Amino acid sequence: MRIRVTEEAFDPGAEVTAFAGSRRDAGALANFVGYCRDETRGKPVQELFIEQYPGFTQKEIERLAGEVARAQGTLDLMVVHRVGPIRPGEAIVLVAALHAHRNQAFEAVRVLMDYLKTDAPLWKRETGPDGARWIEPTDHDHARRSRAEEKA
Amino acid sequence: MKLVFLGRFREIAGPHMSDMAVPCEVKTLSGLQDFLTQAHPALAAALAGVRTQVAVNQVIVRDPSHAIGDADEVAFLPPMSGG
Repeated sequence: MRIRVTEEAFDPGAEVTAFAGSRRDAGALANFVGYCRDETRGKPVQELFIEQYPGFTQKEIERLAGEVARAQGTLDLMVVHRVGPIRPGEAIVLVAALHAHRNQAFEAVRVLMDYLKTDAPLWKRETGPDGARWIEPTDHDHARRSRAEEKA
Repeated sequence: MKLVFLGRFREIAGPHMSDMAVPCEVKTLSGLQDFLTQAHPALAAALAGVRTQVAVNQVIVRDPSHAIGDADEVAFLPPMSGG
């Protein structure tokens, strides 16, 4: 598995291309990229800051990805997650899955994203015209996470 | 003992809490919570939220009677918001 927590901006296209070329037994690659938006709930966002717990964050994302890989039988998984200050338009997270077949590749990406939303030790702070505020997962995110767990 | 406050807990705690000397009578997680209630009531109130998680030496611990000592790192984690 390729799990990376990084303060550096990354190029999702280049990451996915390198990942796709790593296995000849994969018939499918599915991926998701989450970006920093320039507005939320109708208000402009100037900057997003994501805090990690160094060491623990990487280890926990590896654990979550391992669970998904076992449940879905994926050949390999990749996660790149930004931390630190992020500007609108920049990629925050990339999740990609290699599988022999497409349905399981899609499912692995969807389930791992749901896990990351609620269980990855990361904390987001948005800065807009009214100042900064910490974001917490919504009940909707937790409901998705529970559904993913029931299915797994 | 090293205390780590993450996300909004770090902001509420302020810059000096992680260096605070925890008295040696504190031997469990619930003891640490009692100490924090005295030392920083606003922080203790924030930490009391139902979705707060505690990690001892980077392992999540749910048992308030879990033993902790001088060499341990205790981290308080607000609800997570990755992705």
